[in-house]
Amino acid sequence: MRINFTTFTHYPRLFQAGISWGIMIFLLSSNVWAQDRVLSGKVSSADDQALLPGVNVVVKGTTTGTITDINGTYSLAVADDAEILVFSFIGLETKEVEIGNQSTIDVAMTANIEQLSEVVVTAFGLEREKKALGYSVQEVGGEQLAQVPNQSVVNNLSGRVAGLQVSGNSGAGGAPEFVIRGFSSVAGNNQPLVVVDGVPMQQTINSTNDERSDNQRYGGGLSEIDPNNIAEISVLKGPNAAALYGSRAANGVILVTTKNGRGAEGIGVDVNLSTTFERPLVKPNFQNTYAGGSGYRTWYADGWSGTVDGFKGTAGTDESWGAPMDGRQVRHWWSGTETAPLLPEPDNWEQWWETGSTLNGSVALSAGNENGSIRLSIGRTEQEGIAHNTDYYRNNFRLNSEYKFTDKLTVSAFGEYVKSGAENRNFLRSSYFIWHHRQANFDQLENYRAFEGVHIQPDGNDEPPNWQHTFFTNPYFWQQTMVSPNEKDRFLGNIRLNYEFNDWLSLMVRTGTDVWTDTRVNVTRYARTRFAFRAGRYNEEVLRRQESNSDFILTFDKGFGDFNVVAQVGGINRTNFYKRNYSQVNELTIDGVYNLGNNASPNTDESLIEESEVNSVFGSAQFGFKNYLFLDVTARNDWSSTLPSDNNSYFYPSVSLSAVITDMLDIQSSILSFAKIRGSWAQVGNDADPYLLQQVFEPEGLWDGSVPKFGESEQIANATLKPEITTGIELGADLRFLNGRLGLDVTYYDQSTRDQILAVDISRASGYESRVLNAGEITNRGIEVVLNGTIFQLPSGLSWDAAVNFARNRNEVVELADGLESLTLWSIRGASLEARVGEAYGNLYGNKFARTDDGQVIFENGLPTTLDGQHVIGNIQPDWIGGIQNTLNYKGLSVSALIDVRMGGDIYDMGTSIARVTGVLEETALGREEGVIGQGVKNIGTAENPEYVTNDVVAEARTFYGRYSGRQFHEAAVFDGSYVKLREASVSYQLPSKWFDNNFLQSARLSVIGRNLAILFRNNPHIDPEISSADLGYNYGQLPSTRSIGFNLNVKF
Amino acid sequence: MFAGILIVAGACTDDFEELNSNPNKPTTVDPQYLLPQAIQTSIDNYWGNKTRNERLNFDHAMSWAGYLTRNIYENEGDNYNVQPSVNITNWEVFYTDGLINFQKVIEFSDADSENPNPNFEGVGLGMQAWVCSIITDVWGAVPYNEALSGTAEEPIFSPAYEAQEAVYAGIIEQLKVANEKLNPDGPSIAGDIMFNGDIMMWKKFINSTRFKLLNRQAHIVGSSSAEMQAMLADPATYPMMESNDEIAKLVYGALPTNNPWNDILVQQGRTDWNINSILVEKLQSLNDPRLEVYATPGNLAEGEFSGHPSGLPAAVATNFLGFSATINQDVFAQLNSPAVLMSYAELKFVMAEAALEGDIAGDAQALFEEGITAAFDQYGLMVPDGYIAQLGAVSKENIMTQKWLALFGQGIEAWTELRRTGFPVMPAADPQAQFENDGVLPTRLQYPNTEYSLNGANVESALGLLGGADNMKTPLWWVE
Repeated sequence: MRINFTTFTHYPRLFQAGISWGIMIFLLSSNVWAQDRVLSGKVSSADDQALLPGVNVVVKGTTTGTITDINGTYSLAVADDAEILVFSFIGLETKEVEIGNQSTIDVAMTANIEQLSEVVVTAFGLEREKKALGYSVQEVGGEQLAQVPNQSVVNNLSGRVAGLQVSGNSGAGGAPEFVIRGFSSVAGNNQPLVVVDGVPMQQTINSTNDERSDNQRYGGGLSEIDPNNIAEISVLKGPNAAALYGSRAANGVILVTTKNGRGAEGIGVDVNLSTTFERPLVKPNFQNTYAGGSGYRTWYADGWSGTVDGFKGTAGTDESWGAPMDGRQVRHWWSGTETAPLLPEPDNWEQWWETGSTLNGSVALSAGNENGSIRLSIGRTEQEGIAHNTDYYRNNFRLNSEYKFTDKLTVSAFGEYVKSGAENRNFLRSSYFIWHHRQANFDQLENYRAFEGVHIQPDGNDEPPNWQHTFFTNPYFWQQTMVSPNEKDRFLGNIRLNYEFNDWLSLMVRTGTDVWTDTRVNVTRYARTRFAFRAGRYNEEVLRRQESNSDFILTFDKGFGDFNVVAQVGGINRTNFYKRNYSQVNELTIDGVYNLGNNASPNTDESLIEESEVNSVFGSAQFGFKNYLFLDVTARNDWSSTLPSDNNSYFYPSVSLSAVITDMLDIQSSILSFAKIRGSWAQVGNDADPYLLQQVFEPEGLWDGSVPKFGESEQIANATLKPEITTGIELGADLRFLNGRLGLDVTYYDQSTRDQILAVDISRASGYESRVLNAGEITNRGIEVVLNGTIFQLPSGLSWDAAVNFARNRNEVVELADGLESLTLWSIRGASLEARVGEAYGNLYGNKFARTDDGQVIFENGLPTTLDGQHVIGNIQPDWIGGIQNTLNYKGLSVSALIDVRMGGDIYDMGTSIARVTGVLEETALGREEGVIGQGVKNIGTAENPEYVTNDVVAEARTFYGRYSGRQFHEAAVFDGSYVKLREASVSYQLPSKWFDNNFLQSARLSVIGRNLAILFRNNPHIDPEISSADLGYNYGQLPSTRSIGFNLNVKF
Repeated sequence: MFAGILIVAGACTDDFEELNSNPNKPTTVDPQYLLPQAIQTSIDNYWGNKTRNERLNFDHAMSWAGYLTRNIYENEGDNYNVQPSVNITNWEVFYTDGLINFQKVIEFSDADSENPNPNFEGVGLGMQAWVCSIITDVWGAVPYNEALSGTAEEPIFSPAYEAQEAVYAGIIEQLKVANEKLNPDGPSIAGDIMFNGDIMMWKKFINSTRFKLLNRQAHIVGSSSAEMQAMLADPATYPMMESNDEIAKLVYGALPTNNPWNDILVQQGRTDWNINSILVEKLQSLNDPRLEVYATPGNLAEGEFSGHPSGLPAAVATNFLGFSATINQDVFAQLNSPAVLMSYAELKFVMAEAALEGDIAGDAQALFEEGITAAFDQYGLMVPDGYIAQLGAVSKENIMTQKWLALFGQGIEAWTELRRTGFPVMPAADPQAQFENDGVLPTRLQYPNTEYSLNGANVESALGLLGGADNMKTPLWWVE
């Protein structure tokens, strides 16, 4: 494996991994310390005096500890100065006992009621008791997220939250996409709202295909924050959970709470270092029998199909239908006028993909006292991608602070500055291994300069040596020449004042912003002479996006006998701003100098401003009765600038109810320790994008550099838009068994989004592509199950915890615009992805193979026949998704594994289908010379009275495999997208605290970590079926997913 | 208190309307800015289209008319296979980029507009009719009267189709109206990238086009001949092209508004096309010097011109790359090489045909010879001695064959005339060729499948108007 440290040179040495690792090792080599006392005793249940096995017994503030045996007894050697012994067990109240002079300590433990009333963070950062919630919230702790660190925390959520579907992205700095509970918007944005410490963080919009691929390329949002700072992530899944967040919460909310300095005594230092290495996870199965070329011939002449020295070349064809690679002497691109043996390069895939690496280091300082706290963290991430010359870096600087100025006034502020940048993030897909020659050696291609003297190409052409020239440029030259960097600055922060008038009334006033600017340079052409001269070309783009939110919330919280009332009213002002400046130099005068003034012809300029504003007021009231029955009512009204002035106000309410059955009925059982049922109904209103109300004309540049052109917008505006409304109901139950050892949470939901603001495609003969209107309704219904528990906890200290989640979503397009039956989401070569009325969202349409009633493909002349017209050939949505997390603990050793499952759902794998056409895949070597007999039947009767017998007609191999082309035979490109993956695994060791005799070092943990270690199940023979959802089920040479293995070290001082 | 906040928040929205006014794009523009966009997008698409799998003329019509052939990717038109994207994009560009902007030129300059200008209106009507003639000659029955009404007062989002006969009648009438609107002494127009504001040139192009379309339907629409005669009888009202200086063409310019063939062959550096052996052999058999105008000999053929036939599988066709002649880039693939909408020679050949058929009075032989002379002169050539004599007397086949030789580049027109008349007579397919469409020269394009999903009922009813299935074998209305 190869690690490239050169990129460190332009960044602070503080994070240089080598030095930091050295410091750690020095710190860890401190000596060991003696123990001189032995404590022992019995632990029993206060309820029934039964002896309790498996209870944790730990000396407070240390990792010195043990577990009670089967008889509930323990024995523990402790240090002389040990003061307090802590007894803990799931479902029981943790008990602390002062040791004093005792040598025998017996305790009786009581059931823990507090433990079942975890506090969760909900809307507006309010901490609420989970049992009081009438809707589904799932949390993932920072510790879990940190187990297998990743540059994007989104990847760590995959498989951990029921109903959250993550699609990975293995590009350097790539941001995975995520949706909760499936697609609810026909063509709009389906991404959940992300809120970091109360500040909504802008995710790159993903409603159009261009935006999707931008998103895939440049990432952003949640993927940019430093995962090491995260204390907890709460996922509020439905509109029910999010009525208070307004419009954008219709797709759910991901609430991120970061660590603060609260609770730290003195100065705490937290250092985290990790290094991982990445390799492609799945290699396609290539054939290694036939070389590049066509007609069973392989001969390099001029990189085209020209004739040199009397022999016609075959390198103009970028396919592998050439000669057998039997060592025969042929000309190669690298052999000049000589010949050399024709041999396969079975490992050229491995040659091209490099070993990627990710280095992550962060240091956090925290301090706190009774009046306030502060936490400062600095993080650095560096990635080298698996594609040549691709990289990414990110620096995160974060400050969280809080200070109590008076008993009543608390002020807190946080800010995170993120500086990131990359080179060649545009390498998201390539067709290098779809179209290629099986004898191409990529190490030689990398070393292309060495062949400049012998390489033959047509007279006057000046291309870098390559295996061919008609379609491909040397990939190494390309990656080194067409460097497309970006530099992004982002700031996210807020200031918050909290004033407590008395113990039941308080006011919070807050203002926050998320602003970023990104400068992107794209080199799109280099100067070359390919029969004629063509100048280089590049463009640069500066983007700025800002969202600011200012709000206040007045909170009333008071108990009246058995009743408790929490009421809030508040108001919010939100503004959004977007600016894009874009210039393209169509022809560079001096190649390689990327400056807008270096233009040989007029540049193309574009710019865009978008502004919008929403004012909102909201109120909520929660009524609690005897702390077991809770009723929540919320209401909100928005006024949006993007809607017509006479229709820009919209109101949406919610109501939810939660009942703790075990408390209501006073059930006290060690079997069923807790039971809650909940139900809710909610609406969320949504506005439009800016500027959809007026018909406009688009600037179209200049004709011949002088005559300005405009064209009418292809989208018909609509001055009578109204807000769209999502309505959802949710029912659920939260059950805990065996003193809380086993938990089961089940949710059923049914939500519907109506009057969606859509740009609906219309017949082009109308003169327009689409019209904007309120149309369409999509319903999503499904269930989510979360099961977690402790499978065992042995006296020896070995314990096994497991968590399982499962989600199944079904959706239906109930209605589109009047008279419209179908909405096309993408259309490529006649195949399309559509939302059709009465069907699930995301059906794939195209032609399909003709089949008999019993499903056999009908052949004619040895070739499969197709049915014309558009047929359903698949659907991109999974049947269900889920995950299984297992953790084994033994003293300081922890082993964990996360399995991530996606079952069902298809992908349109154009890449694999074309790689069959080009003859590079294993199966296409079969029957090359003899011909192929397709499996199926042929008709020996008439068209009217068919009589089918087994097909026995031999078809020529290339023609036969040509029928796999997804460009024309659409069904051939549809593959099952199911997979079961070993998503994460780690082995970590918490170094015994007894090794640290100082007060300086508090703890240290060393882990070996892995991500995407194996695909345990898949149906696609050649690729990892987990493809970026940015392409909505379409795959053509996407960057392969990677397996990543490395180390992580966490040290606290 | 909640109510109080409501009132305050609601009152803060006064400036919302201003905030939501698009700062980037105008809500109205002068016709002078729409006209060049409409002209360019229409003609780009007519002449070449820069994007692969979308090039109607360059990849399809030019092959089907026997001008070009492929040395690779024979399934992108050359072997009669048509990728679905061809049907979709061409339909889209003609209607949504071209026609709609001509429509806006008309609406923003007609008598009801704020700034009436009959010359803008006439150019808009005329160009719209010309684009519609391409559309109907490619697909047959198409939306015409109900088309382009997406933002009309009574908007139509799913326009009905009309039979090709009705579309022709509409176009011919529209061209007449356009000619009536146009007045060289009237107000000037700007943004005219075709004729630089020369209204007489527009009149000549529009009338010549009308004459051409009347001739095309003369055998089935009885009134055509009287109309053609009326046009010839009144040249003051119906001026037509009188020399090669009056050819209707768009001269391209600097990047990115360069000639599409320049873009494909030079900017993109593609080499997938050669000159079809049908054209090479015909020109050679006539000792026709235009061979050197249209073609450049292959690198390795040592000055000899050779071509190869269409429909060869890539494995065979690729053998000809390097040998077969290629398009003469000096003439056809410069940044500013022109796209010809209609040539003077074409008009003369149309007149010769009309005279031969007896639709107009006139000396068919003389008109035929004038056509040939004009066709040579178009490229600065003199007709070689004995050239005309070797052809024999004027005949439908001779006229159509010479017109075909003159139409190089105007592939759609040549394909249309080949489909209508069956001339020139094409040689039998090469034994190695493997054609799709059961070997039938495509008679039309299929409707884009987007029409089936977005305008389903209307496209279904179009099948009745078409008189056959929506495939590439159903003959169009004007087939003789």
